[in-house]
Amino acid sequence: MPHLVIDRLSANYGTAPVLQDVSLSVERGEIVSIIGPSGSGKSTLLRVLTGLLKPHAGVVHVAGTQIDYGSAAALRKVRDRFAVVFQQYNLFQNMTALRNVTIAPTIVKKRDAGEVEREARALLEKVGLSHRIEAYPDELSGGQQQRVAIARALALKPEILLLDEVTSALDPELVAEVLDTIRVLAAEGMTMLIVSHEMGFVREISSKVVFMADGKVVEVGPPSQIFDAPQTERCADFVRRILRH
Amino acid sequence: MSYTLQYGQVTPYLGYLAGGAWLALQLAAIAFVIGWAIGLVCASVLEYGPRPLRWLVKAYVIFFLNTPLLVQIFFLYFALPDWGIVLGSYQAVLLGMAINAGAYLTEIQRAGFRSIRKAEVEAAETLGFSRLQIIRYVVLPHIAKVLFPPLSNQYIILTMTTSIAAIFGVEELTGRTYNINAQTFRSFEIFSIAALYYIALTLVASAALYAVGRYFFRIKGRVF
Ligand SMILES: Nc1ncnc2c1ncn2[C@@H]1O[C@H](COP(=O)(O)OP(=O)(O)O)[C@@H](O)[C@H]1O
Ligand SMILES: [Mg+2]
Repeated sequence: MPHLVIDRLSANYGTAPVLQDVSLSVERGEIVSIIGPSGSGKSTLLRVLTGLLKPHAGVVHVAGTQIDYGSAAALRKVRDRFAVVFQQYNLFQNMTALRNVTIAPTIVKKRDAGEVEREARALLEKVGLSHRIEAYPDELSGGQQQRVAIARALALKPEILLLDEVTSALDPELVAEVLDTIRVLAAEGMTMLIVSHEMGFVREISSKVVFMADGKVVEVGPPSQIFDAPQTERCADFVRRILRH
Repeated sequence: MSYTLQYGQVTPYLGYLAGGAWLALQLAAIAFVIGWAIGLVCASVLEYGPRPLRWLVKAYVIFFLNTPLLVQIFFLYFALPDWGIVLGSYQAVLLGMAINAGAYLTEIQRAGFRSIRKAEVEAAETLGFSRLQIIRYVVLPHIAKVLFPPLSNQYIILTMTTSIAAIFGVEELTGRTYNINAQTFRSFEIFSIAALYYIALTLVASAALYAVGRYFFRIKGRVF
């Protein structure tokens, strides 16, 4: 049984349709990447999955259970199955790196503070930041903040990690450290849905690549297909343009 | 043209002046707290309130930001009795200062609401925070930090503004200084001492605010 199944999902901003009949399935431990031009609905798809935007039609199954995006209480349940990290590192500015990681398990899950802190320290060590635990976001580089954001997302022990262009706002020399962190998670078998413009990385890490345009899935295939032998004109066009630089 | 400084002649009045300083501190603090509350309500209305209420608040802010405080207090003191509302001089000054400060504090606090980072709120949402938890852990700490420096400034300004009360016969620091001057004619001595008292009031407040800002909000700005 696939870990995540998205079935004919549609969503609107106001009356404008931004996702139309998006279908996609992800196996447990699989890494699927989403590529496509700006405005094609990649972020919107992740926003719908995490419950930030209500779907207009369609269903989502995680491990065989349909997710109910209808009520606030049901949404709480969605939230610990998916964790998301966005492009702009949106850490809580008034909290240290450690507090950013411990706060959700402590106040949302009401878990024991000591235990949560031990886990948070381990997570920050995993993303290579054990020496910056007491630093505030404005004292960290973009790459470090993004790694704290990943640790924060993992603190709730999500089943599926959603990453939305997590390296796009970073200076080039900081991209590698964040990609390395993602590689570690991949090696541990985390199921991931990754939106990225780092084509080399996408090709290396994904078992499946989804090309989206105008709110629709245009082509899905293994990296070798999408990058070397795309089947659709639009995908070929996009790949040609993006690989040229 | 020789004026010999004789601070000795005014030292008996130091305690009397300290009482005036205490009254000035009270005026500033009370006006600030009332103005802060007015500003908080009005800023919320401007950001989230229904349109007619927003216009009303807008009119209040425009009116009070664009007329002199002194005229506003004169109005409260001399014009309101025509409508059957008689205020004592202390009350009129305090009310005038509070309403005036309220207009400034509306604008300041509105900027605080505006500065809430949507991305942080969404992050909290995706982590499963409830609405109240978002306000308690994300929104309020952020607003408090953003507003702390301008609010501190406003308080310091209010401290200076209290001297207006002297015009209405309230015996705060300036009023008492004026009285002593009329009795002793040691103008240089008495007014320089009054200046020191004001500086003490603002410096102590600045230092205290600095410590609070540094401790609670990690604000590294200097006092001077
Ligand atoms: N908050 C919003 N309100 C209205 N329209 C939006 C909003 N966010 C995104 N859109 C629109 O939805 C479409 C998809 O955007 P997005 O999902 O951000 O694309 P991508 O992440 O692929 O660049 C775009 O046309 C964009 O203009
Ligand atoms: Mg996007």
